[in-house]
Amino acid sequence: MRRSLPARFGLALLQMAVAAFVLIPFFWMLSVSLKPTTEPFAIPARLWPEAPTLANYVTAFRPEFRDYFLNSVVVSLSTVAITVTLGLLAAYAFSRARLLVITGLMSLVVLAQMFPHSAIIIPIYKMMRAADLLNTYTSLIVAYVSVTLPVAIWMLHGFLAKLPVSLEEAANIDGAGPIRVFWEIVVPLARPGIIATAVYVLIVTWQEFLFALSFTSSKAMRTLPVGLNDFIGQYGIRYGELMASSVMVSVPVVAVFFLLQRYFVAGLTAGAVKG
Amino acid sequence: MASVALRGLGKRFGTFTALESVDLSIPDGEFLVLLGPSGCGKTTVMRMIAGLEEPSCGDILIDGQRVNDLAARDRDLAMVFQNYALYPHMTVGQNIGYPLKIKRIKGEERQRRVQEAADKVELGHLLARKPAELSGGQRQRVALARALIRTPRLFLMDEPLSNLDAKLRTVMRAQLKHLQRELATTTIYVTHDQVEAMTLADRIVILNDARIQQIGTPAEIYARPANVFIAGFIGSPPMNLIEGRIENGRFVHAAGAVGVTAADRARAVLGLRPEDIALADPADADLVGEVYASELIGDHTLLSIRIGQTLVAVKVAPDGGLPIGTKAGLKASTGKLHVFDGESGERPPVRQ
Ligand SMILES: Nc1ncnc2c1ncn2[C@@H]1O[C@H](COP(=O)(O)OP(=O)(O)OP(=O)(O)O)[C@@H](O)[C@H]1O
Ligand SMILES: [Mg+2]
Repeated sequence: MRRSLPARFGLALLQMAVAAFVLIPFFWMLSVSLKPTTEPFAIPARLWPEAPTLANYVTAFRPEFRDYFLNSVVVSLSTVAITVTLGLLAAYAFSRARLLVITGLMSLVVLAQMFPHSAIIIPIYKMMRAADLLNTYTSLIVAYVSVTLPVAIWMLHGFLAKLPVSLEEAANIDGAGPIRVFWEIVVPLARPGIIATAVYVLIVTWQEFLFALSFTSSKAMRTLPVGLNDFIGQYGIRYGELMASSVMVSVPVVAVFFLLQRYFVAGLTAGAVKG
Repeated sequence: MASVALRGLGKRFGTFTALESVDLSIPDGEFLVLLGPSGCGKTTVMRMIAGLEEPSCGDILIDGQRVNDLAARDRDLAMVFQNYALYPHMTVGQNIGYPLKIKRIKGEERQRRVQEAADKVELGHLLARKPAELSGGQRQRVALARALIRTPRLFLMDEPLSNLDAKLRTVMRAQLKHLQRELATTTIYVTHDQVEAMTLADRIVILNDARIQQIGTPAEIYARPANVFIAGFIGSPPMNLIEGRIENGRFVHAAGAVGVTAADRARAVLGLRPEDIALADPADADLVGEVYASELIGDHTLLSIRIGQTLVAVKVAPDGGLPIGTKAGLKASTGKLHVFDGESGERPPVRQ
């Protein structure tokens, strides 16, 4: 359907307004990170620093930042690997099961993601303490897997349910066993879904704050979002360095997203089945 | 190579019966064609034999062994899917060679056999393409090649030529027939194209309404269709079916009468193949009507003669065309008349 010219113009305007609304905080973050310490609260406020400087970045990129960064990488990538693997296996089972009991479990999985983190953090904390896991990577990874897995299953289920079953049937007839079918047919075809899910899990864990703050007590175990707290002192907030750190925290995720966004567009199954 | 037997095989989807109890024995090496209109259950039969669909009742035997509980991949059969089911992430060559990859046939031999199979379906030059870059007919041939590359116990082909143009279809048909003779592999072939069925089959099974209507060689089915459905389905154009009644050994219609060897009945259907009717002087014809259309087909002319409410097709010599509206008499070749019951549509049993 082709819209009329004024309608398209209006739509474009609306889109720009939404984009601006979303992007202004990011712009402000970047702007503040480039301002000299004296400037953030100068009046009148300036959108862009008069004399941009990288001084904040230099101070923000301290040794602790590098430790936090490594912690974040370890925790996030482990979570992504575990969640996506488990999620894929579970979603495949759910999408191919014919038993009502099993498809019914799928609704339970969906239900599981409805609990707010703040409601489950205390029980999980107690479990971690009982298991003597507090202040370890394991505690964070286990917690992150448990909160991201339901959404991951649900996302992957959406992708897998759309794959034509007859491809798996054809592979069966060609002599392939279930594991082979899964690896050689299902996984390659579900790749856009797997990547999208992985990016989602990465973004969620990379920015997670509440669990990371509660479960880690030593500085050596902190992740980046908790580390940002260092700049929020009792007597003041060091905005320049805080924002510079924030920019550095955001960059990897934004980069990953841009690199992989072409995979989010599905369409890998073109030509598989007639019609 | 294998024989197949279906014993009381049936399939229900919920409350809907896709296939009622089917009994069928297919001897080793036979080319059996399942023929029937859309939705009659052809694919369902194939999928049950392949092990992709669980029967609701009945047994499937391959070489006398019950295979109901055998997984599809252990049944050792090759299948061409009606929707092709090509692996979209693999090239044409990889698609065709996938069954060999699974059998761990490697390197040069695999390559050679892939090339051979692709050449058989005239796709040898497209091995590097992905399915998305092929036309519908080319995709279908990839699906066919993926089956032909194997030497299974049984070939299952679900309308493997449906998407090819007329010329290629004729070529592929002859090739399939030749190949099947050569390999002597039992083949079950689904089609709703009766010409394909007639030319390929050792025996045809006609399915309709989830039931087998008739089993026989193409010649038997053509010569003695078991009911009006088959009579109206086989042949191009199919048999003419004229409704009337039978009185004193004669089929009686408002437009005339013709002698038949059948018991009297109040409602009957007379079946006449277009080639079994000759034009005659209206004065001593069996039935009289008028020309409705006259079409030159090539090696014959097809006349449509209106008799009461029915149009009757008659094949005559190419120069036998008549102007529309001409009064025309029809004479049926003796011994080529088919009589069906007007109520049930069945051919009455022969009186001894
Ligand atoms: N999974 C299913 N669930 C419900 N009904 C089904 C299913 N598969 C097939 N049917 C029904 O069973 C009947 C037979 O289907 P089938 O696919 O065997 O037909 P077909 O003879 O192969 O037709 P076509 O020539 O159009 O391919 C159809 O009425 C169809 O709607
Ligand atoms: Mg079908």
